[in-house]
Amino acid sequence: MKEYLRKLFFYRELLLNLTVKEVKVKYKNSFIGFLWSMVNPVMMLAVYYVAFGIIFKLRALGMTRYEFYLLSGILPWNFFSLSLMQSVSSVVNNADLVKKVYFPREVLPLSYIGAASFHFLLQELVLVVFLLIFRLSLSPWIFAMPLLLLLQLVFTAGLSLYLSALNVFFRDIQHFTEIALLAWFWITPVVYPISFIQESFPAWAERIYMLNPMAHIVLLWQRITYNSPANGPQAAYFSVEGFVYAVVLSVFLLISGYYLFCRLEGRFAEFI
Amino acid sequence: MTVAREIGARLVSDVPALELRGVGKCFRLYRDINRSLKEKVVNWRKRGYELFWALQDVDLTVYKGETISVIGPNGSGKSTMLRLMTGIMKPNRGSIATHGTIAALLDLGAGFHPDLTGRENIYLNASILGIRKKDLEPIFQDIIDFSDLGPFIDNQVKNYSAGMYVRLGFSIAINVNPDILLVDEVLAVGDESFQAKCLDRISRLQESGKTIVLVTHNADLAEAVSDRVLWLERGRVKMLGDPQEVVDAYHEAMSTRPEGTEFGNRDIVIESVQLLDGEGRPSEVFRTGEPLVLRLRYTARKPVEDPVFGFGFYDRLGLMVFGTNTRLREVDIPRVEGSGVVEFVIPSLSMLDGRYYVSVAAHTRDGQVNYHWLDKKYCFDVTSPGRDSGYLTMECEIRVSSGG
Ligand SMILES: Nc1ncnc2c1ncn2[C@@H]1O[C@H](COP(=O)(O)OP(=O)(O)O)[C@@H](O)[C@H]1O
Ligand SMILES: [Mg+2]
Repeated sequence: MKEYLRKLFFYRELLLNLTVKEVKVKYKNSFIGFLWSMVNPVMMLAVYYVAFGIIFKLRALGMTRYEFYLLSGILPWNFFSLSLMQSVSSVVNNADLVKKVYFPREVLPLSYIGAASFHFLLQELVLVVFLLIFRLSLSPWIFAMPLLLLLQLVFTAGLSLYLSALNVFFRDIQHFTEIALLAWFWITPVVYPISFIQESFPAWAERIYMLNPMAHIVLLWQRITYNSPANGPQAAYFSVEGFVYAVVLSVFLLISGYYLFCRLEGRFAEFI
Repeated sequence: MTVAREIGARLVSDVPALELRGVGKCFRLYRDINRSLKEKVVNWRKRGYELFWALQDVDLTVYKGETISVIGPNGSGKSTMLRLMTGIMKPNRGSIATHGTIAALLDLGAGFHPDLTGRENIYLNASILGIRKKDLEPIFQDIIDFSDLGPFIDNQVKNYSAGMYVRLGFSIAINVNPDILLVDEVLAVGDESFQAKCLDRISRLQESGKTIVLVTHNADLAEAVSDRVLWLERGRVKMLGDPQEVVDAYHEAMSTRPEGTEFGNRDIVIESVQLLDGEGRPSEVFRTGEPLVLRLRYTARKPVEDPVFGFGFYDRLGLMVFGTNTRLREVDIPRVEGSGVVEFVIPSLSMLDGRYYVSVAAHTRDGQVNYHWLDKKYCFDVTSPGRDSGYLTMECEIRVSSGG
């Protein structure tokens, strides 16, 4: 294990290059390039503003700025879902590299997560700028962003290592992941406030609901970018146990996922 | 302590660079390529594959500064051995120890990203080989120069020809200055002048004490450049030692080969192969410039998606003279089931006098799984009108003029 880590460290430049490659390739033939990453949240904001803010009158739920609430949760969710979707098939899609050159294979899923992080950070930047433009108060918690990003990265990386390794042997996993993410989205408080779950379901159902680590991660993102009580009480939700649970689970996933990946990677080349 | 040993003309140390001890590599040949979780669950009791030992009991020590060539017929495990040396695959038995940095050029290309330019791929490829950016800067221009790609270096790699691909790959592999260079069959691609350049570079690497393992179909090339030659046959070491001895024995075995070998998982079975002349009569002797039809009948026991049928002509030394398949010729066969016929029609044979061996095969699109491969099982003779010499005939108009 230690030797594997040393090797990974030796190849850190490759990880960086693959990440940069991924960012470059994505916008290779587009005119405004990675500005698309920034246009994306602006467009979402505009659409949600019209769709939810005006038509559905969600302000009745006590959320004055629903579109910002939504954006504060959906950006990290999209980051998670994009990272996972791309990294699951990363080893299989890079069959050419895997069959022809040796390098630690974990840089493949990790580089997709790296590239997705780049887009995500740009989008978060846009969100913060818009919060300022609309004079919504920011909390000092905003400075915890790197830590929260780290937590989400650990969780995503752990899961990706599991899925991308197993996907080499069972190709169904990438299709399954796609569908699972669709369902997962709706059991995570992105579109609706967490109070909706607390109020409409019995306590045991809520406890099960809270087993979803992404629920805690998304709640934390909402809290740090959209915290002012003026923006609605839901925004201020925070649970310490939930945070600890998410951290422990993520670290466990990463370590065990990395172990599994290293065990299986020797057989990748002959399977794809 | 390093005691120099003399092998051939050069001095070679007795410090090992690559050590293979009792190495065995086993593949699972799936009866179904479609490996899905569902099938795995449904047939969890049945083993859906057969074991196939591509390499067995291989013992080999390559010393620092030595050049070893690996020869052997198709499917004898040469490429697999190289893959094991790089670490791309792990052996199932035995152990492999490597001492020093390795750069490898396997099959075609070195793993490029099609959407990136040649230049961007150099950066990417170098970092895959573990080269730091600062170590790359000084050799960057050398890589571009040697590849001879000129302005194409800034084009996307997906627009490159096979030759350009190999040139760039080879250029990177030799310029990053590895301790050990592994090369698989790439010298067969590319034009004469590039091959000459590669050979020249290989001899310079030899002089500077690099360790080289060269896989080649061309036994004469193996004899010319290496200190020792390893002959693999069906995954086992058949002979290892002095280049001339091994290559002579190899030639001998190839020309007196009683019958070819067959392998594959037999999802598609090639039942018969016929060589027909212009009138559709089976024949074993053809004349240069006359038509030849290669007709193969197959039977697929169950539906097979997207198979590729192909054939190759080989000379006595096992060198492929010509080969093609339905993939290369863009003839898509979406699915076969039951029996059928595939005909390859050659309107005019180009080869000159000699005996030619024929291999036919059915395999998957990516060539990773062979359904049935009949290796050099058939042969035919060609007689030519004696107007040309060499391997092939070609159109040639001669203009003579005097004065000026
Ligand atoms: N990934 C794989 N899965 C199953 N069989 C394989 C795989 N790779 C190679 N083989 C088989 O192993 C044998 C040796 O292949 P290879 O090393 O490519 O031979 P060579 O390079 O000498 O032509 C062949 O029969 C080939 O079909
Ligand atoms: Mg080969």
